[in-house]
Amino acid sequence: MNSQRIRLWDLPTRLFHWLLVLAVGAAVISGQLGGKLIEWHGKIGLAIVGLVAFRLVWGIAGSTYARFAHFFPTPAKVKAYLKGEWSGLGHNPLGAFSVFGLIFLLTVQVLTGLVANDDIAFVGPLFDLVNKSLSDRLTGLHHLVSDLLIGLVVLHIAAIAFYARVKKENLVKPMLTGWKEGVSGESAKGGGIVALLLALAFASAAVYGASGAWLPEPPPPPPAAETPSW
Amino acid sequence: MKSKLLLALLTVTLAGTAAAQVKVEDAIKFRQSGYTFMAWNMQRIKANVEGTYNKEEVIKAANAIQAVANSGMGALYVPGSDKGKGWEDTRVKPELFTNKEGVGKVAGAFVKEANEMAKVAATGDAAAVKEQFGKLGGTCKGCHDDFKVKK
Repeated sequence: MNSQRIRLWDLPTRLFHWLLVLAVGAAVISGQLGGKLIEWHGKIGLAIVGLVAFRLVWGIAGSTYARFAHFFPTPAKVKAYLKGEWSGLGHNPLGAFSVFGLIFLLTVQVLTGLVANDDIAFVGPLFDLVNKSLSDRLTGLHHLVSDLLIGLVVLHIAAIAFYARVKKENLVKPMLTGWKEGVSGESAKGGGIVALLLALAFASAAVYGASGAWLPEPPPPPPAAETPSW
Repeated sequence: MKSKLLLALLTVTLAGTAAAQVKVEDAIKFRQSGYTFMAWNMQRIKANVEGTYNKEEVIKAANAIQAVANSGMGALYVPGSDKGKGWEDTRVKPELFTNKEGVGKVAGAFVKEANEMAKVAATGDAAAVKEQFGKLGGTCKGCHDDFKVKK
């Protein structure tokens, strides 16, 4: 059973990861630049809703190492890791904090973004569900969480650089190829087509819900003839 | 002599009137009203760009924004109006009163794009209006980022 390499990250997990990298990068840039890019910012936000929703299901129904239960940072695991005694595959206990932290912040970020406004002409697709004052406060939170997220991403990248330089362990390659070299253990199992379809269905439903397409149509504008000339 | 004194008095009074400072509360109200009114007009342009395009509507909205942009609203940032309540609490940052150069830059950019918006609206070219709307919105953001408190 001992092989020189194992299947660590399944394809959906890898696709999720790299699409999220692209989407978050694009969201940060479009959000900072604003102007006409703010419309794109909203669309990218919906894509992130789908990605996060997908990952939440995949964390339950996906393959071995993608499951939340597999890498949940229990106190015992964290203690062992800090003593240098942890030996497992996949996300280490501190990395797991990073994963849960990122997913949590992204969730807050998309939820606040959906009802945010920019005091110019752009509002999130679910803005109509809240009043302006609440939207203003949640927009403030959206800006704050944006900074926290960027900080956590920097930490995430720094940890990967630390692993590469100091611990001589390449964490990027398995996230690209799916294979972890030079280790023995069980290859990832589970996360078949049914789980994939379930996750995709949930993600689609989440994007639909977030898009506000289900909100009642605003009343049709009165006929042009009734618009007063003044 | 008497008439000279009267004239001097009159001059002082008139000059005083011209430079009379608006009360802080009123100044904040006027500011907030101006921005809110422009927001309505921004939304109108956006609705026209995204839905059925009505040239006249867009011209009205763009002209309204241009007028407010060129009304010299800077005069409403009177001393002491860094804090206070107009229609609601002001969200101006104290930097607006200290960083004159920075304010001048973002305000200048805004006025320039607002003028351009009115010009483009007059052509009735929906695609160009959409493009200019993005640029104009970007200059709104320029000031919000630096001089408006995020809640």
